Amino acid sequence: MDKKIIFIKDTDSQAADRTRDFYTAFLDQLREDGLQDEVQVLRVADIGIYSQGVVVKVLPAGMTYGKVKDADIKRIIESSVKKDQVVEDLLLKREPKQLRIVLRNCGVIDPDSIDEYIAADGYAALAKVIHGYTPEKVIEELKASGLRGRGGAGYPTWMKWNFTRQSKSEEKYIICNADEGDPGAYMDRSVLEGDPHSVIEGMIIAGFAIGASNGFFYIRAEYPLAVERINKAIKQAYDYGLLGSNILGSNFSFDLDVRLGAGAFVCGEETALIASIEGRRGTPRPRPPYPSREGLWGKPTAINNVETLANIAAIILRGGKWFSSIGTEKSKGTKVFALTGKVKNSGLVEVPMGTTLRDIVFDIGGGTISGKGIKAVQTGGPSGGVIPKEYLDTPVDYENLQKLGSIMGSGGMIVMDEDDCMVDITKFYLGFCVDESCGKCAPCRLGGYQLLGMLTRISEGHGVAGDLEKIRKISEAMRKASLCGLGQTASNPVSSTLNYFESEYKEHILSKKCPAHKCKHLITYSIMQGRCKRCRVCVMNCPVNAIGGDRETGFYIELDKCIKCGKCFEACKFSAILKE
Amino acid sequence: MAKLSSAQDLAKKKKELQQPRNNWVKVGMSSCGLAAGAQEVYDTLVEESRKRNMQIQIQKCGCQGMCYAEPLVEVSVEGLPVVVYGRVNRETAVKILDKHVAGKMLVNDSVFDLNT
Repeated sequence: MDKKIIFIKDTDSQAADRTRDFYTAFLDQLREDGLQDEVQVLRVADIGIYSQGVVVKVLPAGMTYGKVKDADIKRIIESSVKKDQVVEDLLLKREPKQLRIVLRNCGVIDPDSIDEYIAADGYAALAKVIHGYTPEKVIEELKASGLRGRGGAGYPTWMKWNFTRQSKSEEKYIICNADEGDPGAYMDRSVLEGDPHSVIEGMIIAGFAIGASNGFFYIRAEYPLAVERINKAIKQAYDYGLLGSNILGSNFSFDLDVRLGAGAFVCGEETALIASIEGRRGTPRPRPPYPSREGLWGKPTAINNVETLANIAAIILRGGKWFSSIGTEKSKGTKVFALTGKVKNSGLVEVPMGTTLRDIVFDIGGGTISGKGIKAVQTGGPSGGVIPKEYLDTPVDYENLQKLGSIMGSGGMIVMDEDDCMVDITKFYLGFCVDESCGKCAPCRLGGYQLLGMLTRISEGHGVAGDLEKIRKISEAMRKASLCGLGQTASNPVSSTLNYFESEYKEHILSKKCPAHKCKHLITYSIMQGRCKRCRVCVMNCPVNAIGGDRETGFYIELDKCIKCGKCFEACKFSAILKE
Repeated sequence: MAKLSSAQDLAKKKKELQQPRNNWVKVGMSSCGLAAGAQEVYDTLVEESRKRNMQIQIQKCGCQGMCYAEPLVEVSVEGLPVVVYGRVNRETAVKILDKHVAGKMLVNDSVFDLNT
């Protein structure tokens, strides 16, 4: 039998950490009972549970107790350690929140080894498809699964494949869109780096289904490790005969190659991406014709996101019906999110569709780092919007996020706390879109620039009364008249923050105040003489020598010299610097 | 490498590869891990386990998802639960070998996750 181990962690982040106290208390009690050699007590760094007081887990049975008090220690040892019985009133019952389909092998297998992938059921779906399915049946299976494109728009994958299949042409292509560019999103990078073969397998199956014999990875050059691992994986697949001619003894042949993106965000848009692969300037063109009819070199082309393709093998192996049993009515399966921002546990999470934002941010993410309240969650990157805290209980799926004025996007999820200023955030996203606008169409090129100018003025305290009206008008014009998704959605962060946080904008414009104390031009620092201990730490930290005075008479900030960097505010141990 | 020329070949290959393995240490070596210093941890583990002549496989793997706690090291040793150590540095890496792998005791203050 496995040895008994007791995990201990104080999960209240705000008060003093009591993990060590309980550790000693448990040890003492065990020693009293003469069990100290049979049981290990362990202080863990994270137990996956938050805000539940001291949490104790007894292994190997795995009973988990929350809000444990000193008096409970004896009880836990009596029942759970000595007899494997459960202490009912302390028990935390928790369902696992995460479900891993896309990330099934990430962090489990060696990404450089095709053997480990094969041992983990890799390429079994390919064998199943090639030797038992017609292309129509593959598409049928995907239809049953309800899988929708994970790149952001959520277009049903089976329809995309079906259109491409039905287009008549001698040559067809499949492209994997790995030009992941949203700030704060890195799901695709992790999949490519952690499990490259799953994406390759998905592409071969896609090629089989649509009748393509060539495929391309379009990976951004900023992901050198992903490129290296994909190249290696492709070579291994060729060596094993899983790519090339007559795959696994069938008469299906498929070749795969890698193209690098040169760093333009707009190349994630499918028509710009195609132009880029063809060697032309990466600018979008109007659709229709859609790539499923006229894509790469004028031939029918299916373009799928990395995460979409990583789902394919799992769907084939376990059936479309199984996949469609996960998720909500219209959004099936799971979604990987890159949880970042002011959240305690930033990282990748994969949850079934329909999981609430609250579950993701608090139960998995562990709440905010600062312990302050959450203000909003941003989803969908620069094409998305913010979801204010009132809507944290919304189940996440394509439709619900759209209803709230945001989008699913590729899966970036940025948590903002009370210290984040909505005007500032919006300015950041808009600045990103202005930078990345290709300049081909006027609404995006000019509209974005004007909007950014106005937001900058507002954040600098030069906003005027009619600004919001103008912002709304330009946003609407951009949404309606831009050529591609980038321009059409570039104003989304603006309209969504304006919708939920209009008062914050007004505060900037009318009272020239930034409620979150973020906009540099609208805040001033001063020293509260009553609290100041005259330790001179602020003086030492000020990079521009803007703090005058001496130990006798006290210190003061010279406002004309101050660059508002906030160094003194952070450095002061006595909270004597006032930011307003 | 021999080409796999049929589905049977693939199935056979899979069977060959699926040997149950016990004593292993995995280091997350994707961008997030490498940025946090996973290479150094990996090198330390390889070097120190060789010095001690330990029967343990040091392997590489991708990102587990807990990017906030990188570098991550997952350890499976017979008789102990499979745990993931986070924010591992050289010092913890040596502790993992000496205490966890050799001494069959988990290392305090570094466990971030439990894989059952």
